[in-house]
Amino acid sequence: MKRADVLLISIVLVAALAFLVPKWFSGNEDKDGAGKNRVANVMVDGKLFRTVKLTEEEQTVDIRTERGYNILKVHDYGIEMYDADCPDKICLGFGFITLPKQTIVCLPHRVLVEIASVSGEDDVDAYVQ
Amino acid sequence: MPMSSSESATVLKRTVIIAIFAAVAVVLSIVEAQIPLVGMGLMPGAKLGFANIMILTCIFFLRGRDAFLLVILKTLLTAFLLGTFSSLLFSLSGSLLSFVVMFLLVRWGREKFSVIGISIAGGLAHNTGQLLAASLVFNSLSILYYLPILLITGVVTGIAVGFAVRYLVASLSKIAIFEEFLD
Repeated sequence: MKRADVLLISIVLVAALAFLVPKWFSGNEDKDGAGKNRVANVMVDGKLFRTVKLTEEEQTVDIRTERGYNILKVHDYGIEMYDADCPDKICLGFGFITLPKQTIVCLPHRVLVEIASVSGEDDVDAYVQ
Repeated sequence: MPMSSSESATVLKRTVIIAIFAAVAVVLSIVEAQIPLVGMGLMPGAKLGFANIMILTCIFFLRGRDAFLLVILKTLLTAFLLGTFSSLLFSLSGSLLSFVVMFLLVRWGREKFSVIGISIAGGLAHNTGQLLAASLVFNSLSILYYLPILLITGVVTGIAVGFAVRYLVASLSKIAIFEEFLD
């Protein structure tokens, strides 16, 4: 290992952690207010396919394109990829997501699922009316 | 154009080395596709990148265009064998960017960077290229959310690949067929 190697490793690690650490802290606060007002934007090929409200009740979203199918399942204010016939099954590995800005991606089928707050802002804890 | 026998022997050796390296790279890709990284709590889509061992070693011994051919061969063959043809665009942009970065560093950055640094840079370029292609196709920047975590896994796998290349280059240099390609 030479000096430039060590420099490269440190710069990359510092830059990556600078993005990750604030996210871990804000992530903890988000969990308390388990977002009742969140939606999942389902995009196919860069275009909005459907927006689903993340409800406690179970509902499924079927995406069928000429590339294949993906089945999303909404429950307990979150969403997960339930089944897909893509070759790599990477999208199934994203698991159950509940927080704004979290995503599920299925590259082979060009499907992108992203959670957003209905208000359009991500960090609002509560509204006083 | 007629070639002298030593020239045609060199061409033949190059072709054979590319073919063997492509075969090993494809096998490594298939083996690593069987390892359930997601089950180990890692980011979905993260890979060990063992095929990069062969590509970086090839850049060390052969010319840039030979290594380029190896990258194309390995990416196409892996896509056919694993059935991931639909994500070919993403793997191709990742491996091409990674190849360009490693090639430039091997040719002009060798006094500053060791094999390990070059392999890390290649791994980082691979992840970045793939995510950039994905964010272009999806027309969305939210995929870049995964960049920091992929950069960290890229550094870790890059170190492992770098050590493997260091041993592989040292061992292959002792084999007769590789001797004439040493600089």
